[in-house]
Amino acid sequence: MPPDSPAQPPQGAARIAGEAELVAQTLAGERAAFGVLVERYAPQARRVARAVLGDPDEADDAAQDGFLSALVKLGQFDARRPFGPWLMRIVANAATDRRRRRQVRRVELLDPGLVGGGPRPDTEAVRSELGEHLRAALAELPPRRRTAVVLFDVEGYSHAEIAEMLGIPEGTVRSEVFHARRRLRALLADWKGA
Amino acid sequence: MNDERTFDHRPDPELGAALRRALDSVDPPRDDQAAFVARVMARYDGALADATVPTWEVLAAWSRRGIVLAAAAAVIGGVLLGRALQTPEPQATLDAALTPIALINATDPPDASVVFASLVEQR
Repeated sequence: MPPDSPAQPPQGAARIAGEAELVAQTLAGERAAFGVLVERYAPQARRVARAVLGDPDEADDAAQDGFLSALVKLGQFDARRPFGPWLMRIVANAATDRRRRRQVRRVELLDPGLVGGGPRPDTEAVRSELGEHLRAALAELPPRRRTAVVLFDVEGYSHAEIAEMLGIPEGTVRSEVFHARRRLRALLADWKGA
Repeated sequence: MNDERTFDHRPDPELGAALRRALDSVDPPRDDQAAFVARVMARYDGALADATVPTWEVLAAWSRRGIVLAAAAAVIGGVLLGRALQTPEPQATLDAALTPIALINATDPPDASVVFASLVEQR
């Protein structure tokens, strides 16, 4: 599963080898190598953190926590395995920890304008209007469910990888993705029909 | 999009693209990936420094523990040594302590009343 970035990394075994090399260079003290990994996975990490937390600023804080935690734990990374799932597990945990620490209701994490469901007065583009609806719909889902569907449908991770990231059985991941999709597809269908 | 009634093991491209746009286009816009990368890298040294415990601190922790253990061992050793010094030397033999010299040196068999009397005197 490739992360998105201006310069797409190689696929499959070559990608794993390339990222293992970047990890090795980082462990050897090459700061720039870690910078490449951050640049490569920043968009994905930020989206995953947003899926967990909702609030963009807090999500960026969590994504940063995740990257720095990964840097500290880099010696524990198994270089024979892909880097992305390992990193996303750390980012998702960082976001989840942050959400738990705040101990606030889910709706409080969102822009109040999004929770109401209707388009805001300054909405201009149809796409952004749909985006607002989707963000609101995502926010209504349980945190684990929205994280699972984002990791699967947006980031392209397998059920097995997501199960490992979230520390839940693979069957639970399938169930979470299924229920999240049903809700989101219904919203999309309603929005298209309106 | 796929039929929602059946579970598809493949990612849904349409839903995935819509969600990706929704998560990327937050308000205010957060397309500043370079700024985010710079922000993470600015904490690079700090994160490593926070995670690294200096060697001398490890040694200091060990030496503190060693001092405590050595002190405890010294106290225990002192108590044992003191007890050993205060304990009186044991008597040579029980027989020697109980038997009067007169009885040992006598050539004739002792009278029973004398032996009894000597034992009573010992107590």
